[in-house]
Amino acid sequence: MPDQKITLTVNGRKVSRPLNGAPRLLDFLRDELNLTGTKEGCGAGECGTCSVFVDGKLVKSCLMPTLKADGAEIQTIEGLSPVGSDLTPVQKAFHKTGASQCGYCIPGMVMAATSALRENPDADIEEIKERLGGNICRCTGYTKIFEAVEIARDVIAGRLPPVTLEADETSDSFIGANVRRIDAPSKVAGKLKYAGDMVMPDMLHMQVLRSPHAHAKILSIDTSQAEALEGVECVITSADVPGKDGFGVFVHDQPIMAREKVRYVGEAVAAVAAETAQIARRALALIKVEYEELPGIFDAEEAMQPGAPVVHDYAPDNLVKHIPVRKGDVDAGFAEADLIVENTYSTQQVEHAYLEPEAGLAYVDHDGVVTVVSPSQNITHHRHMLSEIIAKPINKVRFIMSAVGGGFGGKEDMIYQGMLALAAMKTERPVRLVFTREESIIASAKRHPARITYKMGLKNDGRITAASLHMISDGGAYGMSTEGVMRKAAILSLGPYDIANSQVDTYGVYTNNTPSGAFRTFGGMQVQFATESHLDICAEKLGLDPFEIRRRNMMRAGSTTHTQQKLETCSIEEVLRVAEEFCRWERGAPTSRGAERRDLNGPDVRQSCTLGARFRMPGDEADEKQEVA
Amino acid sequence: MFTYDSYHMPLTLRDALEAVAKLPSGGRVIAGGTDIVPWAREGRAGDVHFPVLVDVSRVDEFQGYDLQGGRVRLNANVVYQDFLDDAVLRANLPCMPHCAIWFADDQIRQQATLAGNLVNASPAADGTPPMLTLNAEVELVRLDSGEIARRTVPLTDFVLGPGKTVLAEDELISAVICDALPGYGGSFQKVGQRRSLVISRVCAAALVKTSADGRVFEDVRLALGGVGPVPARLTDIEDMLRGQPVSAGLIAEASVKPAERVASRSRVEYRRHVVQGFVQAAIEDALAAAGAPRPGQKDREKAHA
Repeated sequence: MPDQKITLTVNGRKVSRPLNGAPRLLDFLRDELNLTGTKEGCGAGECGTCSVFVDGKLVKSCLMPTLKADGAEIQTIEGLSPVGSDLTPVQKAFHKTGASQCGYCIPGMVMAATSALRENPDADIEEIKERLGGNICRCTGYTKIFEAVEIARDVIAGRLPPVTLEADETSDSFIGANVRRIDAPSKVAGKLKYAGDMVMPDMLHMQVLRSPHAHAKILSIDTSQAEALEGVECVITSADVPGKDGFGVFVHDQPIMAREKVRYVGEAVAAVAAETAQIARRALALIKVEYEELPGIFDAEEAMQPGAPVVHDYAPDNLVKHIPVRKGDVDAGFAEADLIVENTYSTQQVEHAYLEPEAGLAYVDHDGVVTVVSPSQNITHHRHMLSEIIAKPINKVRFIMSAVGGGFGGKEDMIYQGMLALAAMKTERPVRLVFTREESIIASAKRHPARITYKMGLKNDGRITAASLHMISDGGAYGMSTEGVMRKAAILSLGPYDIANSQVDTYGVYTNNTPSGAFRTFGGMQVQFATESHLDICAEKLGLDPFEIRRRNMMRAGSTTHTQQKLETCSIEEVLRVAEEFCRWERGAPTSRGAERRDLNGPDVRQSCTLGARFRMPGDEADEKQEVA
Repeated sequence: MFTYDSYHMPLTLRDALEAVAKLPSGGRVIAGGTDIVPWAREGRAGDVHFPVLVDVSRVDEFQGYDLQGGRVRLNANVVYQDFLDDAVLRANLPCMPHCAIWFADDQIRQQATLAGNLVNASPAADGTPPMLTLNAEVELVRLDSGEIARRTVPLTDFVLGPGKTVLAEDELISAVICDALPGYGGSFQKVGQRRSLVISRVCAAALVKTSADGRVFEDVRLALGGVGPVPARLTDIEDMLRGQPVSAGLIAEASVKPAERVASRSRVEYRRHVVQGFVQAAIEDALAAAGAPRPGQKDREKAHA
């Protein structure tokens, strides 16, 4: 990289210095100027966490070669409310409405909102949405963000008093009150440091070599050339693990780095710690790994067949966990039914896509305590596991949980903290690893894809006499949270319905796919999708209103669930009532409706995407709402 | 990872052309840079190191545009946001604001140039179909024995295939020259996976001029992208409509035929389905932009029945 010099103005201060290897404006701002309020969520211009003003125009700094900004005037999130000044109305409004949750998208979001109102102080909600279209948030669902921009707009224009931006008066009770988050000011100002924003003197940068194969034996790993490269401080493999290797939320089946064989594409095989990330990447290319490819297994049902390739020797049947739950007598229940409805439902793998890619910083402190700073969602468990893996007593292992820039379950697995600890121990220097977005997607756990076979027996009046649910989930290459997800899926499987006779079996299965793990709902979503879809289909077959079939089967106070829990209270009746009222439900069986539904497209229904708020012509508004057949 | 050894930002055309003529193997010319920077990542090109990058976005002659004799000369550094923000461009290139609003997002549009989009020659490039409807030509410039030499190539001949154009190694695009069509209604249709920041699977552009009473198609221009190696004008459909009375039946009839043109390597059936709806919507939206009422879904179904 060049040592060309760049001269520019950043937040009102003149900066003139060599690039020092920062290829993009984002790198220069973060690494050279330590302005870490500007984040890197994707590095590909998709997410907007890196938005900054360049000569008054908002751009994505991850797409801008550094020298393109030569001579330019830059404003970053830190420059919106410089030292000694108050937060801007936009920042205050984000604080007020609770628009910042994990906070990682927020500096970029605040910049985009600021830009929208600078470009058009009277932008309406459609235009605001349009102008914020380049920024992604994964926590809020955007509503609170849009609300904040509208409040800020009206305060700036004098249509709302400035006090609107201040905290609401609260009485003794916080219930029903709008309470501001205490961590929001640090987020809206870009001050909060996430793990990837942290630096320590003498810090090394880690990069990880990942498996290109889904299933292969590792015959040899030659790290000598990588180790010889100038600037490389260490290369680590599973051979460097001093203790009992293995982590996982339930079963400790995953080594810190692949041991003897790789089980999925993207599994860590070796890691390099070097003076710069660029040197570490060059070193990765010098590591020679000899593989012998093995037949892979990519379908959970096939993995359960005899003779299927075995992913882990300890589980020759590829089974991670089977959870059976029985209630009553299903055969008798089916025999009693007027109608039997069978169907199979499948759901897909899903990535959490938190805006903050995995990042961590590890060091060995003056007392020899191996310390790992990371946005781990499970630090105590990680600490215990790491202590076994690195063969140190628990008082010599410390985990510090940094701000989590979105987790949603995806940061429960200790997929990189072990490598950082090993490298810090080997070099006695701080080591930092920041995943790229691509790496985060390839290496982190996903939501379990599931195939659910349902059989339900019903009387003609809609009462369910029996249900059997058989769920096969692809757990991927390692156990991670699969056991717990199967448990939760089995517990929540039949929904809030009182079914006298039921048989539930959930199976988590090893394959050579990307591991599945914890993800919001923890197995609940997959089974609810099946149960609720199935009830709609049953309602149609019986000529019943979908709400009605649910009412006829719902749990009540005193009902006993299939896991033998006696319910003291039950709210489904009220939930159904409110849902029915709010959606202006048109009563009747799905089959009894005419050609058109009159309960669709009400004033509070989200319209399909339209663009062009900035050049919409008078009269267009009425035409936009096309009828839906 | 995107890395480079040296970065040049010439300010004059001559300096730019000299830098381009001296470009070493592996060197690249960049304009906005919004395509090449994310291209140098895992899953696409991987780590890419450029010995030299020549950034032409500050060349004085590449700034701004001129309106002359019914044509607009869009110099090479005109960025997509200009088609939204500049009132003169909006009035004279009626399909371009619709194209621009679907192109990436506000921030990327501040950097991404039309010329760069055309020279990338993606079969799904958003800029190509509307520029085809505007009868665009591309002005190319190079040094010939020390003199600045220019040639002009119709856009239809400029794009040869995916990623391929007639641009020579030592040439730059200096401008895109196209029709100025005030009074036309313009539209742009696009389908992809997300509202912002999405690369088109299929896109369509239309320009329509009606008689003063709005009853007759005086002129119709249509083009499709993403349905074959090169975006194309639909001249047969244009001929079918030009001079005819505006009617829902005729628009429905015209929208059926272009599906035959779909020659993509993937998702052919899907694209055929989309194309029919797009041609119809493109004509209807362009008519609406020219002042005609927009038909509802039921009217559409009736016309097709």
